[in-house]
Amino acid sequence: MHLHWQWLIVIYLFLGGLGAGAYLTSYAAGRGWLGNSPALQRAGYFIAAPIVAFGTVLLVFDLGQGLKKPWLLIGLLSNFSSVMTWGVYILALFICVGLVVAFFVWKKKAIPGALEHLGALLAFSTCAYTGLLVAVVEAIPFWNTYVMPVLFVVSAISTGLSITVLVGNIIDKGVHADEYKISKLHFCLVSVEIILVAFIFSVANAGGGVKAASAAQAISGGLALWFWLFLVVLGLVVPLLISAFAVRKLGRSAHTGHALHAAAGSGNTVALEQGQGLANVLLLSDALVVLGGFVLRYVVIFAALPIWNGTLM
Amino acid sequence: MSKLDVKLKRRTALKIGALTAAAVAVGVPMGSLKEASVKAAGTESSESKQLGFMYDQTKCINCKLCAKACKETNKWEPGAEWRKVYVAEPASNKVYLSMSCNHCADPACMAVCPVKAYTKRDKDGIVAHNTKKCVGCAYCLYACPYHAPQFVKSGTGAVTKCSFCAEIQDQGGKPACVSACPTGALTYGDITELRKTPGAVAPEVNGLPPASITNPSLVIIPKV
Ligand code: SF4
Ligand code: SF4
Repeated sequence: MHLHWQWLIVIYLFLGGLGAGAYLTSYAAGRGWLGNSPALQRAGYFIAAPIVAFGTVLLVFDLGQGLKKPWLLIGLLSNFSSVMTWGVYILALFICVGLVVAFFVWKKKAIPGALEHLGALLAFSTCAYTGLLVAVVEAIPFWNTYVMPVLFVVSAISTGLSITVLVGNIIDKGVHADEYKISKLHFCLVSVEIILVAFIFSVANAGGGVKAASAAQAISGGLALWFWLFLVVLGLVVPLLISAFAVRKLGRSAHTGHALHAAAGSGNTVALEQGQGLANVLLLSDALVVLGGFVLRYVVIFAALPIWNGTLM
Repeated sequence: MSKLDVKLKRRTALKIGALTAAAVAVGVPMGSLKEASVKAAGTESSESKQLGFMYDQTKCINCKLCAKACKETNKWEPGAEWRKVYVAEPASNKVYLSMSCNHCADPACMAVCPVKAYTKRDKDGIVAHNTKKCVGCAYCLYACPYHAPQFVKSGTGAVTKCSFCAEIQDQGGKPACVSACPTGALTYGDITELRKTPGAVAPEVNGLPPASITNPSLVIIPKV
């Protein structure tokens, strides 16, 4: 059976999670949960709405009628039993709220509390929606599990954190975030993600039938390279090891965090070089997490096999 | 110390709260969706009539006249296939299945379609699809277990599917496929009546998916 959801849908789901995760990162940073980093408090808010908006535009391109009859798109708001309809509402609201929040940040004004909280709620809903969209499809047994949205949420937060750190590094170059706290959070998120991925794929694999065939495409079939190399090794295991290493190293050198910053200020060239080296490795790890988040969605969407493949026994 | 305690407790409470909210946010829709779709399908009134197909595998000779008649009547766009005759492997077993949209009592296509392109007619349970509303998101293609919705992206880019020849039926006629079947293998009627036919079973034979997903309005008399 021919698959219809292709690359653009994968990118759309990925960007939805990425942008929403970025918002949540800045939200968390604003509450002081990620140490005291002005860059992280702003970067996520800047990029969240544009990323999600870009993803949503891609969806329009992917629709059979998106460009031919764009006025039909208004109909996307009509069926409240459709998860896709919920998604359109959630995305639209999130983009609006995200843009207003970004405006406040840009003007260096205090963001109204209610607005910021609403944005966080919508961001969380966006992450959950991208997973729920596939999880409710009973005719695709591999997708049809409660764990799928949970995995999408964790992955979204993980990639959002990484993209925010990366962008924060660009807009505020040299101003280091609290690598210790962030590495710890990364370690937790990636650990949970590994557990969820292992759970989903092994349960599907043991589930027999089409479910197992879906999982097998990833584990040993046509998607194996994507699954093992780009998702498991580069997207999960390497970031896990790097964050574990960073937690140990930074935890030892300075519990208060800002270890690299401290090293930079100390004038100790060896410490400085080491610190810079570690910072670069951490950025590489962040890039890998983002890649892994993309590949995860690619594998999940492309591993879809219908419950009935159109052959009779 | 006590301050820290309170803080920790508050934090734990917040965490638990967030987790619960997450679980509810994810869990409630999953549970309610099915209900919602059943309601949307208008099946609350068990009185409402439901038409369905009956297919007798012992009578089918694989002439494919049903599919041909459907194609001529409904002018499928190239690449679409509203009705299809499936042939079991190996072909020498002569096990066939002529299938179109099953006008399910609980149509998954209708539940997922964001633009309400699908409607279920109260008077006969026909699941109608309005191509003029369809945005071509392909969500229904994933949701329908029977591959009934047809989507030619390079063509019109909108979904089309079996209409049960609703227009012909409204004028008192029979669906084209049923009229064309020379052996009487394909018939139609009130599904509750059809289900009483000796030997008729839900379409779960031959490797077809569980009928519980959409409650399809199709019965099969299997070839044993
Ligand atoms: S067979 Fe498929 S398209 Fe037809 S009503 Fe059932 S779910 Fe919808
Ligand atoms: S492809 Fe058309 S009919 Fe199918 S779900 Fe999307 S809008 Fe509805």
